[in-house]
Amino acid sequence: MSAAFSREKRSAGWILSAPLLLLLAGLLIWPLYLGIKTSLMHDVLSDFDTYYTGLENYKNLISEPNFWNSIRFTLIFAIVATLVELVLGFLLAILFDRIFPGKRILFSLMLVPIMIAPSLLAVMFRLILNENIGVIPGILNKFGLSYAIFDQGNIFTSLIILDVISYTAFTFLLSYSALQNMSQEIYEAAAIDGATTLQILVRVTLPILRPALAIIFLLRFLDSIRTFDSIYILTGGGPGTTTQTVGIYIYKTAFIFGDFGLAAAAAIVLVMLLAPFMPSIIRQFNLGTEPNK
Amino acid sequence: MRLKKASIALISALSLVVGLAVLPTANAATTVKMVLWPGPEGDAMQKVVDQYNSTKGAKDGVKVKMILLSRDNTFAKEAALMKAKSSEYDIYFTASYLVGQHAPYLSDLKGVKDSLYLKASVNSLKVAGKQKALPLDTSLHFMYYRKDLVASLSANAAKYTSIAKTVLGKDLKPNTDPSTWTWDDALGTAAFFTQKYNPDSPTKYGYALPAKNLLYNTMIWNDVLWGLGGNWLKGGKPNLNTPTGKAAIDVYNTIYTKGLTSPESSQWEYAETNSALTSGNAAMALQWNAAYSELSTTGSTKDQLGIAPPPGKGQRTHVHALAVGLNKYSKNQTASAKWMAFLATEPAMKTYASAGGVPSMPRILKGMVSTNASFANIIEYAGKFGYSESAGPREFDMYAALAEVLSPAWVGQKTSGDVAAAADAAIKKLQK
Repeated sequence: MSAAFSREKRSAGWILSAPLLLLLAGLLIWPLYLGIKTSLMHDVLSDFDTYYTGLENYKNLISEPNFWNSIRFTLIFAIVATLVELVLGFLLAILFDRIFPGKRILFSLMLVPIMIAPSLLAVMFRLILNENIGVIPGILNKFGLSYAIFDQGNIFTSLIILDVISYTAFTFLLSYSALQNMSQEIYEAAAIDGATTLQILVRVTLPILRPALAIIFLLRFLDSIRTFDSIYILTGGGPGTTTQTVGIYIYKTAFIFGDFGLAAAAAIVLVMLLAPFMPSIIRQFNLGTEPNK
Repeated sequence: MRLKKASIALISALSLVVGLAVLPTANAATTVKMVLWPGPEGDAMQKVVDQYNSTKGAKDGVKVKMILLSRDNTFAKEAALMKAKSSEYDIYFTASYLVGQHAPYLSDLKGVKDSLYLKASVNSLKVAGKQKALPLDTSLHFMYYRKDLVASLSANAAKYTSIAKTVLGKDLKPNTDPSTWTWDDALGTAAFFTQKYNPDSPTKYGYALPAKNLLYNTMIWNDVLWGLGGNWLKGGKPNLNTPTGKAAIDVYNTIYTKGLTSPESSQWEYAETNSALTSGNAAMALQWNAAYSELSTTGSTKDQLGIAPPPGKGQRTHVHALAVGLNKYSKNQTASAKWMAFLATEPAMKTYASAGGVPSMPRILKGMVSTNASFANIIEYAGKFGYSESAGPREFDMYAALAEVLSPAWVGQKTSGDVAAAADAAIKKLQK
């Protein structure tokens, strides 16, 4: 009786999940299959014939210094940008976790960058900071100041600033909702025990929010690794390949150099590099365990 | 019962409506879909499309629908469609530097009258002797300069010579005729109009250098290479790791590292170069002919804009044509060919020019010099100095690869010696 019921329950589970599984198959598994298939082909735009070449594209990719340079730049960029955004977002969340005049308006303003497409923000950045016609260099000049934002010595910092402007709202919003879920009683208990504000932050808030902050870091980190549009618009990956992300590498390989096979191989390798992070994220969600009821 | 009757009536009515909508009418026009990019070319082409649809198209039974993809990614989207052997669009947008890559996916065009076009433009769209696309706009480069500034050089000969000696280490005298400039003359003049060396200069920098890692910037740099007597290839073999190739890289390197251009120009392209000139921050630049309309009517260059061919002993300007080609997989080959036959006529290109295009037909350009003075220069320079690399089907890739390899040396991150061999290697790899 119990075994039959369990079998029935499992079947019902599969039937109910079927639409989602079909959607996943259509949107994820099929494109992934096509990607893997293309990565095993000689598929070059200027060459009409497409044929199977086995692991040739992977071999070429591994010996391609530009690919590894772009991986290195992407990792550095993603780590720095994510850390800055996480710290800033968390500090802002703490600031907003209290009542003060104008909070609603400021809160809404904080979220504006999320609503602007990164590519549009990059175009705005390029116009506003244009040395010849930009507003900010114009204002700086009035005070006898000058800062070449797109000077090659400053370009990495400029790209980080742009990313921070775009995505701190994301880390802020998630940190803020995590803070909202914390019980007020914990703070009160810590205050009664004589803890200072800093001690409460370091010894109470941060340990409790650690899982949430870890998820925010990982989500943002994975997203930063896929950065493409803003950097492509501002620098095109240059000078040379000094600001080339792996996304730009894949795009250029496919759509400028017309080598779809090599680009697909790079995309598959990127997926393989990112895949190890997934269990960490899933673990944070406590999937597979029964809710505490 | 009444409900059943009502349902049958409703279903019948719906079927009739759907049927009428789906069934083609006896004399329905064939719709030809053509890709172009937005901007002046797209705007101008819309006028030609409207003209055709309301006149000849009605007789031909063809209706042209233009699809404007984004300016940055038109070719990327087309690449994906071509590789998928798509028939979604009947006519693709292409260009001289891309036609080798696109050729396997384009039908041969027959009946194109070469004599109507600028020779450099129409020939640049032939692959293995076959016409693969129809020329639209011709693009080439001018050396734009401030006439008022260059004219003032002769009154400051001693100062010019002194600055040139300090900055370039050469004994130079001012040359107030930019059409005869060598690259030494251009650099000497750029140094003279850089405030770092000449605090009295009205411009902060003497030159506006588009040095971003961008394939179109390689096209501009090519003028320097050719002007010094170099070329990508010699006897079919890469030829940049040579004294001439390195000298051409050093021209850009000198402009950047000596501060004759803004330090931000490492990320500059077309728009920033224009704004440097119109804002009065720079005195000269090698730039696309398309910039003429803006430069001649805006800011510091208004009424003071001079045009000369690119400097060099063997003056040459890159020239290419934007174009349209017929998708080999189009299901509307005949209808598309009718539209393209119209597009290849002088009246169609006159409409195009009147609406802001720069057609590759010299007779049309000549007739419109009164509305755009640069048309006369286009005819003259395309004929006298026009040149394009003929590096095979992966020429477009080579432009991009060279921008990637050379741009660090253009902006002083590396030297010409560091990158010249890599440039040759990049070309060789793409020749395979």
